[in-house]
Amino acid sequence: MTVIGYLANGLVFSSIIVLGSIGLSLVYSIADFANFAHGDTMTIGAYTALVTFGVVGGLGGAVLGLPYGFFLALVVGIAAAAVVAVVTERVIYEPLDVDSIGLLITSIGIAFVYRALIQIRFGSDFTRFDIQPLRPIESLVPYGVRVTLHDVAIVASAAVLVVGLHVLLQYTDLGRKMRAMADNPDLARVSGIRTRRVKLWTWVIGAGLAGAGGVFLGLFNQLSPRMGFNLLLVIFAAVILGGIGSVYGAMAGGFLIGMINQLTPFFSDVVEALPIWPGWLASLLESLVSIEYANAIAFVIMVAVLLVRPNGIAGEGAT
Amino acid sequence: MSHDTTRPAGATDGADPVLSLSGVDSGYGEVQVLDDCSVRLDPGEIVCLVGPNGAGKSTVLKTAFGMLTPWTGTVSYHGRDIGGMAPEEIVREGIGYVPQTDNVFGSLTIDENLRMGGVARDSGLEAVIETLYDRFPIIEEKRSAKAKTLSGGQRQVLAFARALVMEPDVLLIDEPSAGLAPNTADDVFEDVEEVNDMETAILMVEQNVTKGLGISDRGYVLDQGTVRFEGTPEELLNDEEVSQLYLGG
Repeated sequence: MTVIGYLANGLVFSSIIVLGSIGLSLVYSIADFANFAHGDTMTIGAYTALVTFGVVGGLGGAVLGLPYGFFLALVVGIAAAAVVAVVTERVIYEPLDVDSIGLLITSIGIAFVYRALIQIRFGSDFTRFDIQPLRPIESLVPYGVRVTLHDVAIVASAAVLVVGLHVLLQYTDLGRKMRAMADNPDLARVSGIRTRRVKLWTWVIGAGLAGAGGVFLGLFNQLSPRMGFNLLLVIFAAVILGGIGSVYGAMAGGFLIGMINQLTPFFSDVVEALPIWPGWLASLLESLVSIEYANAIAFVIMVAVLLVRPNGIAGEGAT
Repeated sequence: MSHDTTRPAGATDGADPVLSLSGVDSGYGEVQVLDDCSVRLDPGEIVCLVGPNGAGKSTVLKTAFGMLTPWTGTVSYHGRDIGGMAPEEIVREGIGYVPQTDNVFGSLTIDENLRMGGVARDSGLEAVIETLYDRFPIIEEKRSAKAKTLSGGQRQVLAFARALVMEPDVLLIDEPSAGLAPNTADDVFEDVEEVNDMETAILMVEQNVTKGLGISDRGYVLDQGTVRFEGTPEELLNDEEVSQLYLGG
């Protein structure tokens, strides 16, 4: 595969990571809490879409190799993730009188509950959407790019959602309130912003995007009850890399982490091609820079970036 | 305005106060700061709270604005008890608050800051923002700039303007001159007077006693959470006991 090929794969995977990172970052900056159940919120979106697709799968025609029913299932998956998150916030997190560390630990428990419920209903095996897998787009294959129309659909949908979020944040009243709350929650209340309501919308948006990410992850790979949780640390890395609390940073961080993850085979080609001496170092590097360690490599790069920019890509210098 | 309200202790003239704290105990968590504190603000007045550090001056403002709930006693606004009401609701009643620090949204533009000041308005937001720009041209020039790029004095002006978007009839200001260079502080005091000319009564806390009282109609000297002296600026500044004990002179 060529560099462009790896970059194209990276773009697809990045799209999924970005959708997950945004919600984690939004909830962190506005509700002031690192939500460890965020990965499993993605899983909820994926499985809800799976069930919905099972019911409406045969609906109508198809776009980009995906039946219309898939898009309906996507919307239901997004809605389910949002509803579950809002209910959890209202029933569990909000009544709890604990600090942000207490909430963090609670959310780990909630993550287990979400996953257990899915496992009880669906078992722990892998499963997939009942959609015919596609061949890579013929005209791109000569360039070493092996992406399917499904991949194009993932990237395009993620782009629409990210642009939509940008418009919401910059040009709507709710978006301005969300930014104001992330900036200075006390002043937000003093200004008359009903912060509880804004917080709930933050959950809706953050969990909804996570749900979408989960559905696409299921389409990209397959579904399993651990799918979201397995991605959670990578998403945290993306959010921290971008500058925790900055939504745009989270987008940038998600993009980079997804890219690095998919570019790992290319990195190992490069390591192999380099005249590294002595030989033992070359073979050590060759075995370390391999696909099994893709996540670890992403973390190493995260650490390297943070050493230079302690507040992440979008963070403001050093404090 | 109703005329059958209970007059708080110490009220002397004929007007009903817009805002009054009567016999208020209040504090943070378990720590009591205010002890039987009574403060009154009449329509159109500027009233200054002075006193040593830790006397509870800022706590008076925070209790009046619902950031703290009074343990005992009442906070009334136009004769209605607002004690313990949430800040975001008190704003809707017609009281504004300018915190001492972190009083602008740094990552939002000047324009967005003012819009946030008006989230509780039903109508007329654009018009009132334009009026404020006319009054404070110093921030109009920078309306699309992020608030964190403003100088200290400009920031304070924006903080006032944000609170004024609601056209409150009471404005609570915590240490308007804190951290400002002397001539910038003078400008800010002029702005306070100008805000007062818009028929907004002002209750403010100020470290700079001479300047704070200088623009005020009345003042209170607080110590250990309670009012020790009350009077006109002249009375307070000329009182030997007050100046020796509390005004560092």
